[in-house]
Amino acid sequence: MADITAPRARRIGPINLRLWLPLFWIALVIAAALFAPLIAPHDPLEQDLMLERLPPWFVAGTEPGYWLGTDSLGRDVLSRMIFGARIALIVSFTAALAACLVGTTLGLIAGFFGGWWDRVISRLVDIWMAFPPVLFAVLLVAVLGTGLGSVILAIAVIDWTRFARVIRAETMVQARMDYVDSARIGGAHRMTTLISEILPNVLPSVIALLTLEMGIAVIVEAILSFVNLSISSDDPTWGAMIAEGRGAIHFAWWVLLFPLIALFLTVLSFSTLGEGLKRHFDPVLQ
Amino acid sequence: MSSLHAHTLDVIKLNIALPNGHRLLRNVSLTLEPGEVRALVGESGAGKSMIGKSVLGILPPNVAITEGEILLEGQHLNMMTPPTRRKIVAQSAALIPQDPLTALNPVRKIGPQIIDPLVRIQGWNAREAETRALDLLDRVHIRDPKRVMQSYPHELSGGMRQRVLIAAAFAPSPRLIVADEPTTALDVTVQKQILRLIRELQQETGTAVLFVTHDMGVVAKISQKVTVLFAGKVMEDAPTREVFTNPQHPYTRALIAATPSYADLERPFSPVPASLIADLHAQIAQDDLLYRGGRI
Repeated sequence: MADITAPRARRIGPINLRLWLPLFWIALVIAAALFAPLIAPHDPLEQDLMLERLPPWFVAGTEPGYWLGTDSLGRDVLSRMIFGARIALIVSFTAALAACLVGTTLGLIAGFFGGWWDRVISRLVDIWMAFPPVLFAVLLVAVLGTGLGSVILAIAVIDWTRFARVIRAETMVQARMDYVDSARIGGAHRMTTLISEILPNVLPSVIALLTLEMGIAVIVEAILSFVNLSISSDDPTWGAMIAEGRGAIHFAWWVLLFPLIALFLTVLSFSTLGEGLKRHFDPVLQ
Repeated sequence: MSSLHAHTLDVIKLNIALPNGHRLLRNVSLTLEPGEVRALVGESGAGKSMIGKSVLGILPPNVAITEGEILLEGQHLNMMTPPTRRKIVAQSAALIPQDPLTALNPVRKIGPQIIDPLVRIQGWNAREAETRALDLLDRVHIRDPKRVMQSYPHELSGGMRQRVLIAAAFAPSPRLIVADEPTTALDVTVQKQILRLIRELQQETGTAVLFVTHDMGVVAKISQKVTVLFAGKVMEDAPTREVFTNPQHPYTRALIAATPSYADLERPFSPVPASLIADLHAQIAQDDLLYRGGRI
């Protein structure tokens, strides 16, 4: 077994970092979201006009306990970010998963069965992708009404095409491989072939796309919050915080900066994690 | 089985075509007796592999059988519903594919890839199937079968993968094996071992083999009968010995003459003459006209 396990041991290094750094940040965000009421130093909705626009801890003139400062209504930025992580994660996980299920299923069908299945699904994808995604999202939320469910639905409805397109192409490549013929000669039903021979081969791509899509969902949710089309404005979201902070950038930059960093790191982590996981799970790469 | 038929395989006047009507096989007929090895020779695009694929039911989606019969142990394959056909083929035929790199699923371990069909089709239990797989891997001279069963395809060399595929093909004791250029993707030293291995197992088990190749040297080593194909048409069908000692068709003679020989390195290389190929194409064009005329 030694000659088999040797190359695996060697990849401790850049690839493990690529996997573990994003995992660390995402774990942090998940922990913040799960235990928000326990961690958050203040009530995210509590206003205190005596404490408005307090700067973060490393700038002079702050109050102890308000680590990342307060916004123009005197609400604690850190607490709002911690509660905002909840919305960001709920949206990213559920919307990405829904888009993934729909898109992967249709992609597998189109790529494997070809013919009319492929023509109908591919044209549908083409038409779908002709709409600018953000406008499409705004339109959908306008029709469905604001709220958490509508945001999730809108993202899933828009982004399934991403999965369908990539998985269709990968399935087509795999379907032409000789091992698929071998399985057919071995008496495997077409469905069995698709699920137990081809699906495992496209799974690394599905996982990579899924994590990438989680990042995208975080952005789309932030965009919708930014234009005030996400959930109600009482609930703290990163997008809404960025929108509020934008107006105060000249005298309270921290209100904009910290949620922006959180958003940036989360999206970056998701997309890096995707690549890292793909390498980790694909026995052929590495 | 239920058949009174003596032949393992009968292909009768088989025609396959692309959607635009272009024929890839033109009235191809051949038979295979139990325990016999028949070589299918011809240049690239002559339709050699297509015969094997028609028999096994793995033709590319845009290619269809337009006319003709395929009988596997006396059973009419193209009169069956697809599920029945798949069952019959799985029970009595197997494939040794051309490219060992793509013929094994890269994300599944070797073991299940050999064992699954045995359980699914032969109805063996997992332990019987595993014993059989280990036995076969041992027979194809794989040193540590237990370890190989636990390996992924990319952990094995090309030659080892081809051995695994040979083991997988012989595992269900099929009556017919289609060997589709099994040595083409391997380097020459490995080719010889693989060829010997196939012949050994074939003789031991008495399996009939349809051996697709473009190498006349391989034909001489392994087969008892030869079918020479050109542009999907049978040029000559004869016992191997006769094909080499007394070839009847000018194309066969040209093919044999074109095979380089170690015994006579001084002899200049003589490709198949262009005039002969032109004549053959003209003949085939005429055939096609008649064929279409006959059907309208």
